Amino acid sequence: MSGKIKSKKGYSRLTVALAAGVIIALIAGYILGSLGKVPESNYYSLQQQYQNLTALVQNLTASVQAQKIRAAFIYVGPVGDYGWTNAHDVARRYVQNLFPWLETFYVESVSAADAPAVIDSLIAQKKVNVVFTTSFDFMDATVEEAKKHPDVIFFHCSGYKRDKNLGTYFAELYQLYYLNGLMAGALTKTNKIGYVGAYPTPEVIRHINAFALGVKAVNPNAKVYVRWLMAWYNPDGARQAAQALVSEGVDAIAYTEDSPAIIQFAEEQYKTTGKMIYVFSHYSPMYDYGPDVVVSGELVNWGVIYEDILMKIKEGVYNNTNLQNVDYWWMLKEGAVELGAKFGMPINPKFVNALKGKFVQDPTLGNISIYDLIFVRLNQMSEETVTFDPFTGPIKAQNGTVMIPTGVRAGHDTLWSLNWFVDNVVGSPTG
Amino acid sequence: MRVKLEKRVQISKYEIIAVRIASIVLALLSIGLLFIVSGIDPFYAYSVILSGVFGSTFGISEVIVKSIPIGLCSLGLSLAYTAKVWNIGSDGQLIMGAIFATWVALFSNFPQVLILPSMFLAGFIGGLVWATVPAFLKSKYNVNEVIVTLMMNYISLNLLDYLLSGPWRGHGVFNYPITDEFPKFARLPSIPGTRIHYPTLILLILLTFLILFVMNRTKFGLEIKAMGDNLEAARISGIDTFKNSLIVMMISGGLAGIAGVGEAAGIQYRLIRNISPGYGYSAIIPAWIGGFNPVVVLVASLFVSALFVGGNIAKVSLGLSYGLINVFNGVILIFLISSEYLVGYRVRIEWT
Amino acid sequence: MDIVTSLLLESIKASTPLLLATLGEIYTERSGILNLGIEGIMAIGAFTGFFVAYTTRSLPLSLLAAATIGILLSSLHAISSITFKANQTVSGLALAMLGLGISSVAGSKYVGLPLTLTLQPIRIPYLASVPIAGAFFNQDFLVYFSLILSIFMWFFLNRTKYGLQIIAVGENPSAADASGINVELVRYLCTLFGGALEGLAGAYISLAYLPGWIDGMTQGRGWIAIALTVLSLWDPLKGILVALAFGSIDALQYVLQPYGIPVSLLNSLPYVVTIVVMAVATILLAKRRVRPPSALGTPYIRE
Repeated sequence: MSGKIKSKKGYSRLTVALAAGVIIALIAGYILGSLGKVPESNYYSLQQQYQNLTALVQNLTASVQAQKIRAAFIYVGPVGDYGWTNAHDVARRYVQNLFPWLETFYVESVSAADAPAVIDSLIAQKKVNVVFTTSFDFMDATVEEAKKHPDVIFFHCSGYKRDKNLGTYFAELYQLYYLNGLMAGALTKTNKIGYVGAYPTPEVIRHINAFALGVKAVNPNAKVYVRWLMAWYNPDGARQAAQALVSEGVDAIAYTEDSPAIIQFAEEQYKTTGKMIYVFSHYSPMYDYGPDVVVSGELVNWGVIYEDILMKIKEGVYNNTNLQNVDYWWMLKEGAVELGAKFGMPINPKFVNALKGKFVQDPTLGNISIYDLIFVRLNQMSEETVTFDPFTGPIKAQNGTVMIPTGVRAGHDTLWSLNWFVDNVVGSPTG
Repeated sequence: MRVKLEKRVQISKYEIIAVRIASIVLALLSIGLLFIVSGIDPFYAYSVILSGVFGSTFGISEVIVKSIPIGLCSLGLSLAYTAKVWNIGSDGQLIMGAIFATWVALFSNFPQVLILPSMFLAGFIGGLVWATVPAFLKSKYNVNEVIVTLMMNYISLNLLDYLLSGPWRGHGVFNYPITDEFPKFARLPSIPGTRIHYPTLILLILLTFLILFVMNRTKFGLEIKAMGDNLEAARISGIDTFKNSLIVMMISGGLAGIAGVGEAAGIQYRLIRNISPGYGYSAIIPAWIGGFNPVVVLVASLFVSALFVGGNIAKVSLGLSYGLINVFNGVILIFLISSEYLVGYRVRIEWT
Repeated sequence: MDIVTSLLLESIKASTPLLLATLGEIYTERSGILNLGIEGIMAIGAFTGFFVAYTTRSLPLSLLAAATIGILLSSLHAISSITFKANQTVSGLALAMLGLGISSVAGSKYVGLPLTLTLQPIRIPYLASVPIAGAFFNQDFLVYFSLILSIFMWFFLNRTKYGLQIIAVGENPSAADASGINVELVRYLCTLFGGALEGLAGAYISLAYLPGWIDGMTQGRGWIAIALTVLSLWDPLKGILVALAFGSIDALQYVLQPYGIPVSLLNSLPYVVTIVVMAVATILLAKRRVRPPSALGTPYIRE
C-alpha cells in the first residue's frame, strides 16, 4: 500500500459512521431509561445470576422480619474539609458500622439550588426512607421535599422549620465555649482576648457570647475582640484576622472557622518568636496542629445524635407523622459535644498548673481555683438536670441594657435568635 | 505510518457536527476507562446516567431548570463576545438582578399585579447597572474588562452579604442571614411536578430569537460583528464603537440579571447567599462552544446543564465524589475543544 | 515588633503564592498563550507538595515534585493550545476543573493529617532587624526564591536575546517566525515554565502557609493571579508590587474592622482597589497603550 492516501470521501464516510454510532448509542440509552428499569448489570454469568437469586430470596425473608433503614446524608461541602462536613461523615460511618440494619448513602458538595433534585434522585433511585440534610442552606429545600414525599422521614440540621415528617437537630457548643472562656480569661496576660467568627448567624453570636461570659466570670477586666470572616471556610482570612488581633495585643483566641489555620498560626508564632497565644480546637481535634498552644477546645460528636435518631426510627418511636416537635438541641449531657484539645484530653497538661494556680471568688463555691471551677461547671452542665447555664442573668448587652434579668435562664428561642453581644465584647453583631 | 495534519479546504456543516459528536464519543470512552479504574462497570454507569438525565421527566426537567439561568447568561455573553467584549461578570450581574428583584418583592409597595413584571424589569436593570461600570471603563478608556468584571463579581457577593446580614435580614427567620420568603404574588409559577419556572423559560426562548434577529438582521448586529472582526477598521469606517460596546455589555448584564430574577423568584423564593452556584461562570463555556450563535449557544447550554445534572446523578446513583465529577467535566471539555481543531484540520494517515 | 512590621511579615507570606503564580502566567501570556487553568495547577501542586513531604520527609523533593506536576499539567494545555490550536479559554477552564477534581480525589484520604515538616523562615541577621523592611528578610526559602526569581525574570525578559524572542512571539508571531524564531518552542517553554511556578505556588500553600491538605485550600488564588497578571502590566517586577499590594490589602481589612465599616464592604476592599488601580493605570498610561501581548489567546498558524 505504498503512497496510497485514503480519499476525502473515505473520511467523510468515517465521520458519518461515527456520528451514526453515537446517535444509536444515545437512542439506546434513552430507551433503556424510559423503560424505567435499569438492570444492575447485564454482564453477570449464569452462576452469578443463580447466586443473586438465592441471595434475593434470603434477603426477602430477612427483610420481612427486619425493615432495613436506608438513610441518605446530604452534605453542603466535601467530606475532605476537615470541618463541618467531615464531622458529619465521621458520624455517618460510625452509625453505619454500628447498625447492621442500616445502609447509608451520601452526596457531597450539594448546592442549595440542587438539593431538591438530589433528594428526589436519592428517593427514586436508592429508595431511601430517611434523609438527613446537614446544613442550614438546605432548609427551604428540605421543607419542600418533606411535603413532596410524606412517607419519607426528614431531619434537618441547624434549621428551625419542622413538619409531620420533618424534625430538626443540632449539636450545640455554647457550653464548651463558656468553659473555654474560663480558661482564656484565666490565662491571658494582656486582658485582651480574641474571637474570629465565620459569619454573623445567631449560632456564632451565641458562641461568642458564651465565650465572653466565661471570660467575664474569671476576669471582669478582660475584653473579647471580634473579627468577622464572612465565610465558613477561609483559612487565609482566619490567619490574617488572628494576626490583626495579635498585633493589637490579643493573646488568647477562640474561633469559628472550618480549618485549623488559627491553630497553625499560633503554633508557628510560638515556634519562631516564642510568643504565646492561647488557642482552642474548633470542632475537630486539633491538638496535633499545635501541642504548644492548644489549651482545650469544642469537639463535636454527631454520631451520638444520629445513633439516637436512627434507633428511634427503627423502633418505631419516630415515624412520618409525629416529628412536628422533635428538635434535638443536644449538648454536654447527651454526649453530643465534648470539651477537649482532642478527644480524651479536656485540658492540655501543659496549662493545667497555670489554671490551678489562679483563684476566683465565687458566690456559691467560695474561693476556688479556676481549674476546679472548670470541672465543677462541666459536671453541672453534664448532669441529667442541668444545674448551671452560662446564660443566666443578669446579662447586659453592649449598650448596657439588661437583656436577661437576674436569676433568669435564657430560653431556647432567645438563644436561638441572638443578635446582640454581651457587654465585654468589642465588635459588631451584624458584621 | 505517518499521521499528518492538513488544513481542510472546505468543510460541510454535517462534517462539523459529526466531528463534534465523535469527540464527545471519545470523551465518553475515556471516561469509561476512568470508571473501570474506579471499579465501576462503565456500561452500568452510563446507562444509569443517561437514563437518569434523558430517560425520565425528572431528569429532563432538571436539565431545563439549570439551562434557564445558564442559557440567559450565555445569551448575553454571546452578544458581548461577538464584539470581543470579554464579560466575565455574568455571575455578579446575576446576583445584582436577584438583589434588585428582591427589593421589588419585599420592599417596594407596587400593586400586586405589577410585581412580577416589575421584578423582571428590575432584575434586568440591576444586571445592566452592574455591567455599566466595566462597560464604561472599557469603552471610554480601554480598561481591561476581564479584570473589572471579575472583581465586580466578588464585590457583588460582598454586597449580598452586607444586605443579608444587615438591613435585609428577615424578620421571621430567627435572625439567620437570609431574607423573608417572597409573598405568593412575587413568586414565579412552575410547571406542575417540576421546578421549571416557565415565565423565565419563555423569556429565554423569546430573547434567544430576538438576539438572533438583532445579530443577523439589524445594523447594530452587523456593527458589533464588524467590531469583533477588527475594532480599528470598524471605528475608522464610522461605527460608534464606544456606544456599541457600552450597549452590548449592558445588555449582556441585563440578561444575566433576568437569570437572577428567575433564581430568586422561581427557585429559592427568597434571597440567600448562594443564589448563584456559579451559573455565570458556567455560562462562559456554552457561549464559546456555541460559537456565539444564539440558537447554537442555547443548545450548548442544554448540553452543559445536562453535564451538571449527569454529575449530580452520578454522585447519587454511583456514589462518585464531586472531585471525580470535576475530572469528568474537564475531560469532556478538553475533547470538545480538540474537536475544534479537527474541524479546521483533517487527520490523514499515510500508509507507507 | 511593631504592628506594621508584623502585618508586613504576614502579608509577604500571604502574597507569595500569588506572586509565584503571577510570575508564571506573565511569561506564559507574554508568549501569547492564555492559561486560565492556574487554579487547577495550584491545587494539584498543593496536594503533590504535601503528599511528597508527608511520605518522603524531604522538602526539596516536595518542591521539585510540585514543580514537575505543574509542568505535566500545563503541558496538556500547551499541547491543546499550541499543537492543536484549540480554544484556549475553554482549555484553561477545563484544566482548572481537572486539577481541582484530581487533587480532591487524590487527597481524600489525606485530609486533616498534620504536616510537621514545613518550610521554616530563614532569618537574615542585621537586615531582619530593620524596622518594616526587615520583614522581607525573615522569610522562608520559597519567598526569597520568588523575589529573586522575579528580578531574574525581568532581566531575562528585557535584556537578553531569548527574552526578546518571547516578547516578539507574543506580539507578532508571524514576524517572529519569519525571522527564524521557533514560535511553537518558545510558547511551549513559557507555558511549561509557567506551570512549574504555578505548581510551586500551590506547594507553598500546603508546605508553608497552611501546612497540610484540605480540599479547596487554593481558595480562588488562581483566578486572582490571572487578574494580577494584567495588573502587573506583564512585568515581573511589577508582579511583586501587585501581589504584595493585593495580599496586604486583603490582610488590612481585619485591622480596619473595629472602625465601624460593615465587614462585608471591607471584604470588597482588595477588589475595589484592583479596579481603581487598573483604571488609573490604564488611563494614565494611555499614551503607552497598556494592553496585553497582541497575539494573546490567538493560536499561531503558519500560513
